[in-house]
Amino acid sequence: MTARGYLGVFGALLALTAATVLAASLQLPSSSTMALGLTIATAKATLVALFFMHLKSEKPMVYWPLALAAVLFAALFAFILWTEADHIAIGG
Amino acid sequence: MHTLPYTTEIRPDTGLTNPKLGIWLFLASEVMLFGSLFSAYALLRSGAASWPDQSAVLSVPLATLNTVILISSSVTMVLAWSGARAGRMDRFRIYMGLTLLCGAGFLAVKAVEYGDKFAHGLLPSTDNFLALYFTMTGVHAVHVLAGMVVNAFLLGPGARMWRSEPERFTNRVEVAGIYWHFVDVVWIFLFPVLYLL
Repeated sequence: MTARGYLGVFGALLALTAATVLAASLQLPSSSTMALGLTIATAKATLVALFFMHLKSEKPMVYWPLALAAVLFAALFAFILWTEADHIAIGG
Repeated sequence: MHTLPYTTEIRPDTGLTNPKLGIWLFLASEVMLFGSLFSAYALLRSGAASWPDQSAVLSVPLATLNTVILISSSVTMVLAWSGARAGRMDRFRIYMGLTLLCGAGFLAVKAVEYGDKFAHGLLPSTDNFLALYFTMTGVHAVHVLAGMVVNAFLLGPGARMWRSEPERFTNRVEVAGIYWHFVDVVWIFLFPVLYLL
């Protein structure tokens, strides 16, 4: 990737940061604010991982430990959802 | 003394250099470290009868500034690697210096934030939210500091390797960069979770 390409990613990250702050100030319902905030954060993290960490063009062996970590990471949150599901108000 | 094998040539069975696979294995463990903290946050917040208005307790402008600083440092870090790879040590030095400057700026803003909280009697012992805030941002700040130590080494005494083994040096910069970008990714999630949501 060229320096111009990296600066393009930088511009996108700055725009998404502005979008994060703007989305939080819209006074939407808390579940919508949370979903929007985490979606934008995931988009930013994906840009950093793909282009700055070169995951876009990495060898398959890199993805295995990451996939394992992703599954275990998801399990951590699944356990919490499981134990707390009785009183988490979805959409509230 | 044995040197680490496969620092520049690709290891046939993994398709990667050893440092590259090593940093990704380390980062997989880091995902779990921060995963435990984020899940603790989710558990304590979802189980709490009431939760403070986070954006009223913390400074959103300062955190936004720190987000911009850390994103900028990721760009300068990747440009430092790009410079080293192109054989342009002058560019490497400028961009690595800027990366270090951004890291120091981030920690300085963090110190101002912490100082302001302490001055108002807001301590980790105040409530669950502040305990999580100080733990998560504190662990993250230690990671920033660790990255700065590595980056300072690569800019200072470590740069000698450039003359003897330029390819190995460039790989070191790339691996240090992958770690630095990970620290940026963690902040990308900490910012909305702790300050905005």
